[in-house]
Amino acid sequence: MKTKSPTIRKPRFASGSAVLTAESEESGAKYRGLLEAAPDAMVVVNQLGEIVLLNVQAEKQFGYHRDELLGQKVTNIIPVGFAERLIADDLRSAADALAQQIGTGIELTALRKDGSEFPIEIMLSPLENADGILVTAAIRDISVRREAEKHLARMEGRYRGLLEAAPDAMVVVNTRGEIVLLNVQAEKQFGYSRDELIGQQVKNIIPEGFAERLIADDLRSAEDALAQKIGTGIELTARRKDGSEFPIEIMLSPLESAEGILVTAAIRDISVRREAEKHLARMEGRYRGLLEAAPDAMVVVNTGGEIVLLNVQAEKQFGYSRDELIGQQVKNIIPEGFAERLIADDLRSAEDALAQQIGTGIELTALRKDGSEFPIEIMLSPLESAEGILVTAAIRDISVRKASERHLARMEGRYRGLLEAAPDAMVVVNPTGEIVLLNAQAESQFGYSRDELIGQKVTNIIPEGFAERLVADALRSDEDALAQQIGTGIELTALRKNGTEFPIELMLSPLESAEGILVTAAIRDITARRLAEAHLLEKVDELNRSNVELGQFAYIASHDLQEPLRMVASYTQLLARRYRGKLDSDADEFIAFAVDGAARMQRLIQDLLAYSRVGTKGQELIDTSSEEALGQALINLRGSIEASGALVTHDPLPAVLADEMQLIQLFQNLVGNAIKYQSSGVPLVHVSAAKNGGAKWTFKIKDNGLGIDPQYFERIFGMFQRLHKREEFAGTGIGLAICKKIVERHGGNISVESEPGHGSTFSFALAESLEKT
Amino acid sequence: MKTKAQTGRAKEVLLIEDSPGDVRLTREAFRDADASIHLHVAADGVEAMAYLKSDGNQPESPRPDLILLDLNLPRMDGREVLAYIKADAVLKTIPTIILTTSDAEPDIAKSYQLQANCYLSKPGQLDAFEVLMKSVTEFWLKAATLPPRLKA
Amino acid sequence: MKMIDKNGMPTEVLLVEDSPGDVRLTQEAFRDANAGVHLHIATGGVEAMTFLKREGNRANAPRPDLILLDLNLPKMDGREVLAHIKGNPALNTIPTIILTTSDAEADIAKSYLLKANCYLTKPVELDTFETLVKSINDFWLMKVRLPQETPNA
Repeated sequence: MKTKSPTIRKPRFASGSAVLTAESEESGAKYRGLLEAAPDAMVVVNQLGEIVLLNVQAEKQFGYHRDELLGQKVTNIIPVGFAERLIADDLRSAADALAQQIGTGIELTALRKDGSEFPIEIMLSPLENADGILVTAAIRDISVRREAEKHLARMEGRYRGLLEAAPDAMVVVNTRGEIVLLNVQAEKQFGYSRDELIGQQVKNIIPEGFAERLIADDLRSAEDALAQKIGTGIELTARRKDGSEFPIEIMLSPLESAEGILVTAAIRDISVRREAEKHLARMEGRYRGLLEAAPDAMVVVNTGGEIVLLNVQAEKQFGYSRDELIGQQVKNIIPEGFAERLIADDLRSAEDALAQQIGTGIELTALRKDGSEFPIEIMLSPLESAEGILVTAAIRDISVRKASERHLARMEGRYRGLLEAAPDAMVVVNPTGEIVLLNAQAESQFGYSRDELIGQKVTNIIPEGFAERLVADALRSDEDALAQQIGTGIELTALRKNGTEFPIELMLSPLESAEGILVTAAIRDITARRLAEAHLLEKVDELNRSNVELGQFAYIASHDLQEPLRMVASYTQLLARRYRGKLDSDADEFIAFAVDGAARMQRLIQDLLAYSRVGTKGQELIDTSSEEALGQALINLRGSIEASGALVTHDPLPAVLADEMQLIQLFQNLVGNAIKYQSSGVPLVHVSAAKNGGAKWTFKIKDNGLGIDPQYFERIFGMFQRLHKREEFAGTGIGLAICKKIVERHGGNISVESEPGHGSTFSFALAESLEKT
Repeated sequence: MKTKAQTGRAKEVLLIEDSPGDVRLTREAFRDADASIHLHVAADGVEAMAYLKSDGNQPESPRPDLILLDLNLPRMDGREVLAYIKADAVLKTIPTIILTTSDAEPDIAKSYQLQANCYLSKPGQLDAFEVLMKSVTEFWLKAATLPPRLKA
Repeated sequence: MKMIDKNGMPTEVLLVEDSPGDVRLTQEAFRDANAGVHLHIATGGVEAMTFLKREGNRANAPRPDLILLDLNLPKMDGREVLAHIKGNPALNTIPTIILTTSDAEADIAKSYLLKANCYLTKPVELDTFETLVKSINDFWLMKVRLPQETPNA
């Protein structure tokens, strides 16, 4: 279609120049107005390539006066590229021309009057007139633009280089949010090819957080944008071509361009960093947890000796709040011994540090906030960090441990003291039967020096009976061991260094120690005791034999004596019987004395026999009713009780350990005496028994008889001791001796309390019967 | 009470006793107790054996109705004599009374084990002795029924 | 109150007699003679042996110091009892006196052969019986040394 453009006639001058008609003059004037007003240089060229019209801009641009240019060949000002087009293109038809869009900018080089060249862009458009088709060329001096283009190209080149070289993905986005430029990193990161991204909405790869900023911020002006510091890192989520997402950090910066302000986004895939951050956060969380949960105070110190991290235990131990310690010199809480290690060791390298085993416990003195000191044990370990090598110190307050160590040392000292001071040999044996400790007594008893015994098997000094107990008993547990009463004395045979043996008594007791259960053995040399025992047994034997002999003697003596005595007594009696009055009175008297003597002798011998029988015929002491025994005795005495009218009373009497026959005899003798030794009146006898706090019953036989002078208290218990004449009281005087012997055989003593004329009280003690009758 | 056969006859008592003093005392005591007692004496165990073995055939040694035996005899001890008597088929039924000074339990027990008919301990006093002998005659020679005399 | 013989110990007498009348008579006679005698009664041989062996309900029976044994007993007669007693080393030292009505020579001879310590013919008259018991008491319980029970017979 033909463009409706004002018909322009060809100017009249020069061949081919078109002549303006009046009509065209009017439109020409309008056209001239437009022409002159055009910002660009306008030049109209005929088919011959001659300039037929131009505007002032053209004059200025080329540096010619109008007249100088009219009729000139256009090639004078545009040497190359224009005129050819006229011909070459042939301007076949307007339609064709239009179809070719020869109106588009063609870049050429123009020539000024002064001969300098400058780049132009021409826009051609056909112009029909009576003379034929003219070409209007709008000519733009694109020097600046060219410069800018060159510069831009240069910058673009440089920029592109940078862009491609950037480690991060770089994407340039226009104000509409379209990606106009990107680098290979962006391709890789997002998984797209360059062409797939150019022109795409940046939202496709960064769904949220970026595009909004462009609009929201409006990128009002480069200065404003810069002032906003939109260049700082923003963390967002990006999406790859395959749909997967990954975290990014974008750094935006404005970019002025012909297209307006573009935004360059440096996009960093922070997946790894995020992971590392998460991991770090997790580890940090964990570490912090551990740190806080640690029973010990934990303090992390940097190479400068400053505390960079601590836990709540540290706060408590040192009496500071966390803030007070962070950044402080560790010297403030551990004056000596720690900081020096950091420098001295230099913590050259992690391997060296580990090799140094700075992890072993070091005992130091720490200082609390209040100035008080306390002993600590620190365990150091290196910790690599972004800040360099840090040292983690686990700090343990060992006040208590120190105190118990001191106590232990004191106790050990004391124990050692006791051990050495013990009168018996003391030997401590471990579960495997080795001697671990001994005292000086043990050395002297066994004839070894301490060193010779330490570590030795205890069987070397006590061959049998001791080590077996350790194994047999297994000293399973303290409770079992104690329950077993391994503390009671065990008699064994010990062996000296010189090979001689000696009897010992062993007292074992368990001893808890770090090494397990040890056994302390108190070893007593019982040689002397054994001798004494043997001696005692010997003596007892002797005594027994002697007793037996005595009994035999007494028996034989009395028995054999009785024979001839019986003869004498019997025949003198027969004599007395048959011949009384048949011989003279002297004979009667002599015979009477003989009879009397013989009779007394018989009684003496019988009493002697009775006395000896207390021992020889004594029965075992068994549960006996003393009340029944008294009853028996009273029955035996019934004759004399009836004859004297005596009143014998008694309290309830207990069960005692006694020989019944002898107890009866005892009561019989004592009560008999009580009845016998009276002056006149009714004999009153009372028998009582009392337990005066002990396990023995004290019997008392109280009478209202003659009483006894204190000077005789001992003598009356002697054999054949009499305090009265034969005419006064009968009796051989053996009665109390027998009583004494009986009581002594029962393990007691007999005594008397008396006052002449006020009766007597005989007392003796007997053991209580074990059985409850 | 006695059988007719037993009454009226003198009682033969064999006393085996070595002490002449005791012999005399016993004789006196029996005489006082019962005049019809014939007291035969053997001074020791050997004599006793000789007497007893004679089977009662000899008039001087008639079979005793009662034997009084002292334990302490020379030569042959009284326990042996007792054992012998109680083992002999013919002699064992003769009541044999131990009459001795000892009152030791072992002697008593042993005597009964050897089947002595009873055991008497000689009292030291004369009158007690006389009473004892009377008691012996009262019981053994009057109250008790003695074993029948064996026919030869 | 305990009764005594000259040893100061109570006297245990076992009377083996089936006739209640005789038992009563003996008890009375002993009471008169010696109030201190503990008279135990066994009415037959079996009972007597049970008593002597301290079996069954006689487990606490004392050992008799003297046994008075009638020959004529039901079931196990006196001769058997005598034989048992004198055949038992634990019992044969206990003086065993036959106290029976029989005066038959055979019984007398047999009894002495069986080692009875003594044979007594029960008199018919009461006073004679009383005299006899007195005599038994006087001789056996007052004069004779009786064997003590030894732990190991």
